Amino acid sequence: MVRAFVLLAPGGPAPCRVLYARTFGTPPGAGPGGPRQRLRRKEQLLVVARQVASQCQLLQASLGRPSSPQLPQLPDEPVSLQDAPGGVFQMSPGDPFPERVTVVWLSVLALAFALVCEPQENLSLAEITLRRLAPRLLLSLRLLGPGADVLLRPDAADGLLDRLLPHGQMLFLNERFLQAMDRELGLKVSR
Amino acid sequence: EAGPEAVDGLQRLHLSVAATKYPRKLDGKFVEQLQTVLCSPKSPEQIQVLCAAILREMSPCNDLVLSCDEIQDTKLLSLVSSVLLAQGSRGEVAAVGQRVVQGLERRLPEGQSARFLLPVLANVISLSPGSLTEEQTNVVSKKLADWLRYASIQQGMAQPSGGFFSSPRTKQPAPITEVDGAVATDFFTVLSVAQHYTQDQWLNVQAFSMLRNWLLCGLWPQEGCVSGTPLVPVPATPGRLLPPRERLRDKAFAYCQRLVEQSTRRPLKKEDGDLQKACLIEAVTIMDIICKQDSSYVCRAVSCLKILHSRICGDATYARALLPIAQLFLNHSKQAAVDSDAIYKHLFSDIPALLFHNPSLAFEFVQFCKDNSQLFTDSSSIFRQSFPNLFKFLAWNSPALISEFVDLLPFLLDPGTATEIFHLLLDLPCLTAALDIQLRAAALPVSEKAGADPAGKPATCLEAFHHPLYRSMFQYLLRSRAAPEDAPDSLVPLRQLLGSLAGSPRVVQCAETVPVLLELFFRVVAEFADGSLINQLVVLLLQRSDQLYDIPAFKEDVVLGSNLAMLCGLRPALVVELSTEILEFSGAVSNIQSKEAIFTHMAWAVGEFLSVSHDKRCTVEQITRFFETLEAVLFEITQLRPQASTPSCAPRAISVLMATLTKLAARSQDLIPRVSMFLSKMRTFVQSPAVTSVYCEEDLEEILIRATELMNLLKMPSVAQFVFTPPVASTRFQKEVNDSLPLALRMVTQLLEPAAGSMPV
Repeated sequence: MVRAFVLLAPGGPAPCRVLYARTFGTPPGAGPGGPRQRLRRKEQLLVVARQVASQCQLLQASLGRPSSPQLPQLPDEPVSLQDAPGGVFQMSPGDPFPERVTVVWLSVLALAFALVCEPQENLSLAEITLRRLAPRLLLSLRLLGPGADVLLRPDAADGLLDRLLPHGQMLFLNERFLQAMDRELGLKVSR
Repeated sequence: EAGPEAVDGLQRLHLSVAATKYPRKLDGKFVEQLQTVLCSPKSPEQIQVLCAAILREMSPCNDLVLSCDEIQDTKLLSLVSSVLLAQGSRGEVAAVGQRVVQGLERRLPEGQSARFLLPVLANVISLSPGSLTEEQTNVVSKKLADWLRYASIQQGMAQPSGGFFSSPRTKQPAPITEVDGAVATDFFTVLSVAQHYTQDQWLNVQAFSMLRNWLLCGLWPQEGCVSGTPLVPVPATPGRLLPPRERLRDKAFAYCQRLVEQSTRRPLKKEDGDLQKACLIEAVTIMDIICKQDSSYVCRAVSCLKILHSRICGDATYARALLPIAQLFLNHSKQAAVDSDAIYKHLFSDIPALLFHNPSLAFEFVQFCKDNSQLFTDSSSIFRQSFPNLFKFLAWNSPALISEFVDLLPFLLDPGTATEIFHLLLDLPCLTAALDIQLRAAALPVSEKAGADPAGKPATCLEAFHHPLYRSMFQYLLRSRAAPEDAPDSLVPLRQLLGSLAGSPRVVQCAETVPVLLELFFRVVAEFADGSLINQLVVLLLQRSDQLYDIPAFKEDVVLGSNLAMLCGLRPALVVELSTEILEFSGAVSNIQSKEAIFTHMAWAVGEFLSVSHDKRCTVEQITRFFETLEAVLFEITQLRPQASTPSCAPRAISVLMATLTKLAARSQDLIPRVSMFLSKMRTFVQSPAVTSVYCEEDLEEILIRATELMNLLKMPSVAQFVFTPPVASTRFQKEVNDSLPLALRMVTQLLEPAAGSMPV
């Protein structure tokens, strides 16, 4: 299962920002209750985001690319995920989650998408899920246009996650199933 | 009435709640209202989603009165569950679980689909494995088995869209197809293709997606999420239906076998290829779990996977699937009495060399090694011998894998591999550069691969790859297996050649991981190394200290000096045993400049350990020989009028040399006059104009103070001997003594030269 999904702006020189984060349930009995639980959740996700940003910048550097890529000129230009850099790393128990987690991430232009997975999760499927979430989120949230207002449209992000990653469950959807889902969502995704 | 302003307002509210990590208080009545709106069937979906998002964002929530008991709409139930599961309460999780199972058991109202309930269930058992009763898990297992095995094998009908073409035609539903277009001849799976899908086909997808989790956590509520001890499996009696648990395993296994067959078909849509591989990995993993739970499946699994392996082992795109296959064999092949060595050999010898640049494979491969670390304890095994291949993953993907290698390295180290791994670590950035060239050379068109004129020198690194002068060095660096005997005499020419790549970002990132690994290396080796290995490592340390890849900062960061001192502390006798090598190293004046840290630590070690109390074989002649060698170096660097050829060095080196000479003199008292005379000249040295321009005032003063203290100490030879020859003890004690030495010296100085106003004790 996926524990959390994070959409962040890795920054470059600027510090990384979490633009949207969604956790899928809180394990009972794991730590403090009340407002401290919420605080801990936020901080855990920020730690994940920072680590993703750091790995992203290091990978961009090793590939010889500029660390803050430019947005495309036309907001409707289809974004190619062909060469989108991505990676996977592990976070040890206690840092920041009580148990070990594996983070799979993908970077598209000036944004990064990350899935925080339980250990032993199917990482191939996680990568596929990210590659499907990214363009659909970019489309629904109009993340590439000016005045990107992802922060103000959690319902659009939630709607997508509720279909492609319901309650943190990744789905084995072949292309036809995916098309059927896009039809249900009313999405026109370029193929 | 909920209109666009309401939407806007809720969105802004969500932002203000989410934007800060500190608690925001919302009025209790308002929170109650949010919940009411969420559950009201009249609310538009967007508003419901926003209310749920806000409530989740505020979790845990004291004012929550939400309950899923009365909700009939499955989509709404899923949404409300997401809020309830965010509270972190075992009771809430259990309540959601009960309600969902109830929903699955009974007939759902018209238009509702169980499709939205399964993910909730998956989340429930993942958060709190024991929250369902055995009866409830049996209900679910039974349903899952049916959905997996008996989904419709005909395509669904398109939803009527209204308009001109909405008149129903009597059209036969088409059969489902495989991903390669062939008509399917067996039951429906996630790799089945249709234009439109039926509800039970959606359930098939959901069921498989949660299957692994369910088999691990859902089947045994008592034991929670462990894949360990299986309950005694109930054997099938002919004519009777299997119990739900066993029946599910049976259908699941059949599903996985079908996926294995489907996953090597050639897909019409390229993207389906990725899913095929993911399905394959999942299928093999589930088979492994089933085999652990019921060993009667092992034979079938093993024979199925042997065939699969022979089909995919030559295809690099299926490489990631080789790992779960190998894992299954590791877990069960002993039982099936199957020889799986060929599988492991292919995995460890070929795959890393070919696919080190694939970051996902690299990560999963290293995880595999960590998960099976017991394999590496057998030093002759293929796993242990393949460590050069494993390091290729790290060399190429350093930032992502360094922490994994910190965990893995201790398992690779033993007396047989230590020296080879030492060299490998120091040459790790070189390996990165060599891998880069190997990749580029492989990408060249065949015509260019012929290479340049073998008689001449290669103009570029790329040309050098095939050049006879460098080929064997490249081959050694890029070897797949441990080969301590095959090491070429020197890799120096190769390192120099690769110097042009020393600035490349990937190489630099790799270089940054080496110091951490070296520290770990020495810490682990110190635990098992015997005398002969320690001696070997010291000699290698001295040799390699100037044979490092020329990356700026690499030479400084690679802290060999302190590890040298640590090794000497572990085995002080080596100063006597390796006196030839150490004398040679210490006598080369240039070393004090180019390898200052190591030189200084070596000099310190000589002073500390060259004595009869550490090794009975230490003779007066040896002490004198070391003395003369170090004295010559000190003389060279403390000339009053330094020439251009005089090496410059840090003041600390001068201090350590002075201290060492004093210590040696304390043990062979004929040398005392020579040292005293030397030390007395230090005042002139620090005041000489040529010297004051090179060193700063504090440093020179420190040198002078030290020289004076040492001189004073020598005036009381028996005290000096005692101070400088502490009892042989642990390394930490040596360190503490070393640290307290300046203090001891200062005390003695005060005794001998009381400052005005102070009383001698």
